[in-house]
Amino acid sequence: MANWDELAEALADYTVSCNTNERLRKMQRDWSRTLHFVCADTGSAFSMLVERGEILSTPEGHVGTPDIVVTTQSETFCDMFWGDLNPVQKYLRGEITVKGSQEDVMRLDAISYVIWPDS
Amino acid sequence: MSGAETAHPVVVALRRSVGTATATATSAGLAFAAIDYLGVVSVLAYAPGATAALAIFIGGLIVLLVSGIFSELNGLYPSAAGIRLYLGRAVGNRTALSVTFTYMTTVVLVIAADAFLIGAAVRHVLGEPAALAYVWIAALLGVALVANLLGVRIAGWVQTVVTYTVLAGTAVLSVVALFHVGGAFQHPLNLFGKGGFSGIQAIAFALFLYAAFEWVTTTAEEARTPPVITRALFIAPVLIWIVSSVFALALVHLVPFSSLHGSAYPQLLLGRAALGTVGELWMLALTVLTALNTFNGGFLVASRVIYAAAREGNLPRQFAWLNLRAVPWVAVTTLATVSAIVAAVVFATGQWLLLVAVGATIEAGIYAIGSLCLVVLRGRETRERPFRLIAGKPLAVFGIVLFSVLFVATGFSDPKNAHHFSVAPIGVIMVLGALSTAYVLIFVPKLQAAAAARTAAARPRRRPPRPQAAAQEPAPAAGSSRPIDG
Repeated sequence: MANWDELAEALADYTVSCNTNERLRKMQRDWSRTLHFVCADTGSAFSMLVERGEILSTPEGHVGTPDIVVTTQSETFCDMFWGDLNPVQKYLRGEITVKGSQEDVMRLDAISYVIWPDS
Repeated sequence: MSGAETAHPVVVALRRSVGTATATATSAGLAFAAIDYLGVVSVLAYAPGATAALAIFIGGLIVLLVSGIFSELNGLYPSAAGIRLYLGRAVGNRTALSVTFTYMTTVVLVIAADAFLIGAAVRHVLGEPAALAYVWIAALLGVALVANLLGVRIAGWVQTVVTYTVLAGTAVLSVVALFHVGGAFQHPLNLFGKGGFSGIQAIAFALFLYAAFEWVTTTAEEARTPPVITRALFIAPVLIWIVSSVFALALVHLVPFSSLHGSAYPQLLLGRAALGTVGELWMLALTVLTALNTFNGGFLVASRVIYAAAREGNLPRQFAWLNLRAVPWVAVTTLATVSAIVAAVVFATGQWLLLVAVGATIEAGIYAIGSLCLVVLRGRETRERPFRLIAGKPLAVFGIVLFSVLFVATGFSDPKNAHHFSVAPIGVIMVLGALSTAYVLIFVPKLQAAAAARTAAARPRRRPPRPQAAAQEPAPAAGSSRPIDG
């Protein structure tokens, strides 16, 4: 089980990786979304506010009305944000569940794919 | 139980979500393509005259069983991964993958068939030489390819309007035709008029008219509430039943079967018979409109499935390459190319009814497999679901038997001659299935091994070890890590 400090560290690294990747920023330039994340094991929650492909903040708790809600184990979130696992594999096995449009689900995965093509 | 399944269901209102009307339109729109007009003619080949409406009605009743089965499966796994996930949980990943790849070929067949049918219809109305039909086919696929590569998305409300326009437009013209003076219903209850097996084959082809309606389950993640998808799964078949029935009755009423049988555009013949040139143009407009759903929905769904399979390591990773509009361009381009080739083969051979038979057979097989999934998962999954089919297990067992019979009925059919049997449809499916299975058994393990080796060679784990774990782990060998590209 990962605690909030570990999640926050992973999110901080993920945010830098996203925001400094020019190709990703160009690809996601039309993507502005509010994402909610729910840790199934700890019950903790956090949000991600994305504006034109840039991650503006990742506050603890749920902020605003979401476009996408992602639910999985806290450990899976940590590994995902560090780029140590392939989110699609977990998703297709039903270990990550998502509420949101198919296009948004693909865009979310595309972030990991562009930052870590070998994950 | 692992992962997210341990969580209590999260009930949240999304900023954008799909309601019953949109989900129903999605379901009906996926099912009702231009090829359905030919599907009705295929039913007529086995169920003479107005008996076709009876076959379509029985087909609709059977489809309601499919609605129940997929509603429960969707309630258990509300995911865009859909049948891939149910199958993976029920019978294992390799079988799920083989079936999914075979299933995806129906998308290519429908895209190719619709391109051919729309091209043929446009050429017919414009009075151009037959050879020019392929120019229209290539142009249609080219426009669909470019639009998809540019990331052009038809808004949800436009798709909804298009679907209801096509359904209502077809129904209205058919009713007008039914009131036309000079026709008479024949053989209203002659389900076995073309042999003892013909009634079963007619029902099997009637099932094809509803085919793909269950793909609405792939939008479960954006549904406003879980019952939205269940409602769509039950309402959409009713809409398709009404429209297909009045269309079949109108055809029987006004157009001789001898004219319909060799035609790739029976809907235009009905339009002309009912309202002259206006009717023909009316039906042409509706036919072209179906392309919006087929090409937009078909390309989108299929290319995303291919993308996910490539990301998972089950297809070459090139299929996951994204362009700057976040479109998996290799997947989209491959789909368009394969569709163009299949359409060219259909154009050259005139075997469009074979596509209907292959599509009907695959759908019957998928429904049998869906029933099997429910039987297996009923024994394994005790979780609460938003929909539980009453007498689900016996009904699912009945579904396995029924859809297996219909699989055989269409698999050995020859819609060009109802008195003949043909191995062509089952042969095509056996070849597709064998190729899928061989690919999964031989190439997928190699792809996954290569992906694992690539990942291991590319970089070590990035996540910092926890303090207590770090003390136990040996230090990484010199040179084993390298910087990560930002």
